[in-house]
Amino acid sequence: MSQLRSIGMGSASALMFVVGCWQNVYSFVGTGAVVICFALVRALNEQAQAGGHWRTAFPRGNGSTPSAGAPPSGWRHLVGDAMATNRLCSLGMGGASTAMFAIGCWQHVEPLAGSGAVAVCFALLQAIGTRNRSLAAGMPIELTRSQSAAAPDDTSGLVDQMVSQARYALLLRQEIVSNLTSRQITAARRHLNAEMTLVPTGEISVGFTSREPGEDNNHADDDRESRGTVVRIERFLLDRFCVSNRQYQHFVDAGGYEQMSIWEPDIWPGVLDFIDQTGSPGPRFWHHGRCPEGLEDHPVVGVSWYEASAYARWVGKRLPTDPEWEKSASWPIQLRAANRPPRRFPWGNTFDPTRANLWGTGPLTTVPVDAYPAGITVGGALQMVGNVWEWTTGNFGAWCVPTQDLILTAPARSLRGGGFDTYFDSQATCQFQSGEDPTARKHNIGFRCALSVCDLASEDIGMSAPEEVAEQPADEPQWQDESLEEVSA
Amino acid sequence: MTKEAVVELDSWRLAQYAFQVPCYVCEGPNQFDAELCRHCCAPMALAQQSRDQKVQPRLVGTIGPPGVGKTVYLGMLIDMLSRQMSGLQMLARGAFSVSLQQSVIAALSSCEFPAKTPSEPDRWNWVHCQVRSPKQRRPVELIMPDVAGDALLEEVDHPNTYLVIRKFLTKCAGMLMLIDTPRVAKGAAEQDFFTMKLLGYLGELDAGGGLEWRKRPMALVFTKADQCEDCFDDPERFARMHTPGLWHHCQERFPTHKFFAAGVVGGTAYRQTRQEGRVRVPLRIEPRGITQPFEWLVQSLR
Repeated sequence: MSQLRSIGMGSASALMFVVGCWQNVYSFVGTGAVVICFALVRALNEQAQAGGHWRTAFPRGNGSTPSAGAPPSGWRHLVGDAMATNRLCSLGMGGASTAMFAIGCWQHVEPLAGSGAVAVCFALLQAIGTRNRSLAAGMPIELTRSQSAAAPDDTSGLVDQMVSQARYALLLRQEIVSNLTSRQITAARRHLNAEMTLVPTGEISVGFTSREPGEDNNHADDDRESRGTVVRIERFLLDRFCVSNRQYQHFVDAGGYEQMSIWEPDIWPGVLDFIDQTGSPGPRFWHHGRCPEGLEDHPVVGVSWYEASAYARWVGKRLPTDPEWEKSASWPIQLRAANRPPRRFPWGNTFDPTRANLWGTGPLTTVPVDAYPAGITVGGALQMVGNVWEWTTGNFGAWCVPTQDLILTAPARSLRGGGFDTYFDSQATCQFQSGEDPTARKHNIGFRCALSVCDLASEDIGMSAPEEVAEQPADEPQWQDESLEEVSA
Repeated sequence: MTKEAVVELDSWRLAQYAFQVPCYVCEGPNQFDAELCRHCCAPMALAQQSRDQKVQPRLVGTIGPPGVGKTVYLGMLIDMLSRQMSGLQMLARGAFSVSLQQSVIAALSSCEFPAKTPSEPDRWNWVHCQVRSPKQRRPVELIMPDVAGDALLEEVDHPNTYLVIRKFLTKCAGMLMLIDTPRVAKGAAEQDFFTMKLLGYLGELDAGGGLEWRKRPMALVFTKADQCEDCFDDPERFARMHTPGLWHHCQERFPTHKFFAAGVVGGTAYRQTRQEGRVRVPLRIEPRGITQPFEWLVQSLR
């Protein structure tokens, strides 16, 4: 309706302008020119606003599946094009109205000069408005695309881009790896090896609670209370570090919030609520879709369980289960006679304030994901305890013993590991479990991803090229090679 | 058959009984070995410490409706200030001053809330502590009781029911007024009304002389703000939006006031117990905004 109005206004004003020129009625000419300018501005504004509707009209972008690795697409580019058109039109309108003003002054036709001056003002206002909208969308003012993307037919560029976005796990899947060269596979596996740690097959007692001698125990008859539930876990890979702001930025830039296929169906209507401080899609504490300056290497926080889950799918991984998380953190030792009690902390049973970022041991805020190296697990994962709580796939309370049955007012997802503001070290052990509403976006909750080994391609595909093996840096530790072989096997 | 015995006359003991020790809160006379004041039930240890150490501690109140979290807030505040190495630091004076901290921390560390404070004043926990601030050269001596919300409510509705509350609030140098954020956010007006009643009660105490309440600092703390994250962003705006009566009252009557938001737990659930039935339990302890109101209050004390 508004478009029809703009067209009607434009046509009428153009007719007025023509008639004015034909009959030498300068007031008609001036008024017509001004109204034309006004109609143009109005039409362009509507075009820019339509960007918001495009976002909902094409939520999936180009990539129908996360593994397709399609170039980033979606509303940002459409809005970007609208902004570019707006800027060009502003320039044209400004030039035309300046010319009108100059002719009016030269020929002493005062109405024409006045109209020209008014139109110049309109053009200026339009240019300023366009600039502000560009800033609000977090895009550069220059007429460039918001993100460089590999061309669809450029496989090599696409693979490099995916590796740089930490999406190497997708490349190593059975259905994709056969299309890659050995160099590309090696590069992907090198990243996998550097960024993930292998946790071997084994059993873990989940829900284990150790009781001190003399501690009150009213339910000693319940055997599960002390031993927990024994769960067998197949070997899997776990991120060495929590997902950082820098890594999550790739997801936001690639339009991850518009690719509905990677989101849980039950949250589709709620994805539009996952916005940052300025209303752009992104974690809660970001601005204009960008992470705060200087925090690029800090863990991403202010993300809901759904956002964490969507990111994990986008990179071809998943969130760890509770037993998986606990096993990789406590690294239990299995003996034939009986299982030894698991470690309370990744380094042992006694809390050490120099190894984890908790309340009283750190700066009361997040630290980079590779800080506190002394708190490393046996498998090589950092910050399993402290810095940020980590989402897992499990429901909160699923692994509680019967005497601790909790009544939740709303479904909650499991949290592990403790955060920078966790007050008691007894609530940041490998066994401690907390819970949170899956839509909560808190300042101390982040996540790390996991990957089942069975989801990766077997080793005999394209792994025998000697020249690619030679590309591996000489200073890379030997244990990484061994681990790589183990993953392949 | 009774056995006769000769008892020595302890003249020094008689002399001590002849000397009356005034209660630090109500200033009523008590015997030298009284544990609690016979007039208001405040611990006489406060008066003895004040006399022995030659200090005049200032009274700071922590008040609010029942269930707002006064005990948890106070216990957590004391524990945080006594643990932290920089900034404001707190040292408890006397063994009785550690009881509150001990009970609160023991409960929270095992993911439980402490038991409800009983209404009887003789069962309240009192804290006498020394607060050191890097901005102030001299340490400040403070006395802070954990007053039961039910008793406060009773005293406000029926003045002079609890002498200890009336005398204590009259002598208070500053106040921490706690408000339940989730209830306020749900639109329940009773928090607004109760807080205004308390402020009105404080205004009535001015008639007794001393420093007017409008000249004393008052920190208004929205507790349990972890359940309403907006409150952390701008507590003043939150107060203006959700408790307009209280906000207006403070603007008019208490010029030295400031709104804060605080939270102790990171999430809560319910647990079915055999003894108490369904009880609320914390899922994790992550204090936020606890020390800021107190720091502001200490700096604002005249």
